[in-house]
Amino acid sequence: MSNSVILNNTIHKDLKVITKTGEAYGSNVMHAMTFPTEFRDVQSCYPIFFCKDPATGQLYPTALFGFEKDQNLFLNGDSWEASYIPLMIKRHPFLIGFQSDLGKGEGAKKPIISIDMDNPRISQTEGETLFTDSGDPSEYLKQSMARLEAIHRGHEHNKIFIETLLKNELLQSFTLEITLNNGSNNQLSGFYTIDEEKLHKLGAEALASLHSQGFLQAIYMTVASFARIRPMIDKQNAILS
Amino acid sequence: MEEQKITRLVIVGGGTAGWLAAGIIAAEHFVDTKTKTNKRSFELTLIESPDIATIGVGEGTWPSMRSTLQKMGISETDFIRECDASFKQGTLFRGWKTGHDDAYTHPFTIPHAYAETNLAPQWQSFRDKVDFAEAVSSQNTLMFKGLAPKQITTPEFAFNVNYGYHLDAGKFAEFLRRHCVEKLGVKHLKANVTGVISAENGDIASVTTDVCGDIQADLFIDCSGSRALLLDEHYGVAISSKSDVLFNDTALAAQIPYTKESDAIESSTLSTAQTAGWIWDIGLPSRRGIGHVYSSRHNSEGRATEELLAYIASTVSQQAAEAATIRRLDFMPGHRTKFWHKNCVAIGMSAGFIEPLEASALVLVELSAAMIADQLPANRHIMDIVAKRFNEKFLYRWDRIIDFLKLHYVLSERRDTAYWRDNCDRGTIPESLSERLEVWRHQCPWHRDAVHVDEMFPSASFQYVLYGMGFVTQQSTLGSRTDREAANIGMQLFQENADKTQRLVGMLPSNRELIDKIRTYGFQKI
Repeated sequence: MSNSVILNNTIHKDLKVITKTGEAYGSNVMHAMTFPTEFRDVQSCYPIFFCKDPATGQLYPTALFGFEKDQNLFLNGDSWEASYIPLMIKRHPFLIGFQSDLGKGEGAKKPIISIDMDNPRISQTEGETLFTDSGDPSEYLKQSMARLEAIHRGHEHNKIFIETLLKNELLQSFTLEITLNNGSNNQLSGFYTIDEEKLHKLGAEALASLHSQGFLQAIYMTVASFARIRPMIDKQNAILS
Repeated sequence: MEEQKITRLVIVGGGTAGWLAAGIIAAEHFVDTKTKTNKRSFELTLIESPDIATIGVGEGTWPSMRSTLQKMGISETDFIRECDASFKQGTLFRGWKTGHDDAYTHPFTIPHAYAETNLAPQWQSFRDKVDFAEAVSSQNTLMFKGLAPKQITTPEFAFNVNYGYHLDAGKFAEFLRRHCVEKLGVKHLKANVTGVISAENGDIASVTTDVCGDIQADLFIDCSGSRALLLDEHYGVAISSKSDVLFNDTALAAQIPYTKESDAIESSTLSTAQTAGWIWDIGLPSRRGIGHVYSSRHNSEGRATEELLAYIASTVSQQAAEAATIRRLDFMPGHRTKFWHKNCVAIGMSAGFIEPLEASALVLVELSAAMIADQLPANRHIMDIVAKRFNEKFLYRWDRIIDFLKLHYVLSERRDTAYWRDNCDRGTIPESLSERLEVWRHQCPWHRDAVHVDEMFPSASFQYVLYGMGFVTQQSTLGSRTDREAANIGMQLFQENADKTQRLVGMLPSNRELIDKIRTYGFQKI
């Protein structure tokens, strides 16, 4: 449950945000939504798949951290061991709220920065401050705002990305079968991936169109990211041995 | 001499039957409307009368409709949004057994592990403890709870449990028309057929229309409704009446709005037995279709109307009953003595009509059109052979439908009215059904009961109706090897089914909830 309120430099003047990782801060997640704009960084650490939002059935790209619910193989105690942490993880405890934008007519909404007051990162004593003494955003808050801005654009971008992939029939359902050193077989289902056979058969026109939208690179980075599965299996084996 | 090739088809009539047949045949034989390439230079024209309103029978489909739509290249999301469609998981029968608060289901999903194991003999010893459908199928519980057969994350046309649809037949015909004309290259003429011009060999050479002239074709498909403009009015092929077996010949139909927008949409067709017929209740997203189908020999229109209004008053509201507009439809239960004659084949009500107890109308259109599409004769000579096959197959199918519908009546314990007593009169029961009932007294239906590979009703359907109605099969005390093996794993299978049921109840949304989500988000194709 979240208890989000609009961020305010008077009310939240003394608020601090803990930026550590660890289970206490909800870092034990199996996967998190990602966006083509961060694929370059994400694919260097994590496999990128696609999954469906259970509430809407809509597909979105996601970075995989573990093989089962609440498992994050990159989390070693309180340390998230990877060179890049995806935007959707880093954003906490901030989120985007929407406020009616009367200047733009009835029904128009503008994104606005909100904060989840129930998030364990919220503190009065420890962590990064949000505002300077003069009430301006701190460096940390500025970075957080930039991340939210990127996420906001990323959502819109994802919609078009997914539509384009579906239109070209480039997504396929798949089950990841993992055999561990102890002989156990694990199946990971409910995920989707790039259909490489279809990708290789795309005609020049379709490829040019994907390229002009900037999606061709994202597609190939997704394909390349599969190589990140092996190190995750190794981590899992190491835990079990 | 070169045989006349079959390349031009004309469909006369533009109701659900006409457009569904057009879509099925066109999807099979057209290649691409953009490039207009097709090897057979195939032409399909549908002539629709601008003056005749469609009847709109068949608001319930079988699961077969899913693949029918898919083959036509229709998006399930578009179909559900535009045809006011919802999910149907089978039929829930109430009052059929005793007339007092009894209920059972005929779900679309076959019993658990049915391919390998017949659970019906195992269930006989627990018949007093658990209903048959509940013991062997998860769907029974889902139907009573009004849950959807899938989730929003399930790809289009895929399912957790098997399903068909409830739909607005008028909207469906219009939806199919657009798809046929815009995507499948079907030519649409709005005209009245005013005459038939015969060829020397007795075939139909062309039909004359009031505003589009004479339309020639190699094969004419009669979808003109019960009037059967070509097969009956031109060729005089008669109807074989089945009113001695199935008495219902009148329907009173009403469309009832929900009390509020959030009212539950049932995920089964509700069929409630009355004194001389039964009432259907079909939940669409925007309204309910409620109607009373009865035997005019056993009930008066006034009394039948009262029963219908009483049903509406008790299940919807007194207000809804008072506001209801009731439309009457008379029909002669039966089918043509043959469906394909010369170069003319009838599909839909022109071929026959029977009470909608198991929603057999639309599925017969699908099967007929699919067989025409599949076996489209290469030339005129072969057509007579294909026609013969078609007639044999569909006469057999009609017999099986009639047997299956009659089964619902003969198992009833009701003797409260002449209608129920007459229905159990041995003289009204087809011999083919009596014989099977005799066999089923000693062995449960299973795969062995299928004579053909493409039976309309799988043996599982007979199980659901027989045991739902309380029929008793006295198992042989000897016990075959197959039965002993089934006994060994029976309890495990019942438990698996119970576990699956619990899991599905926990994850499936209500029918209304899923329909609302489809309207907002739509299904994914994958």
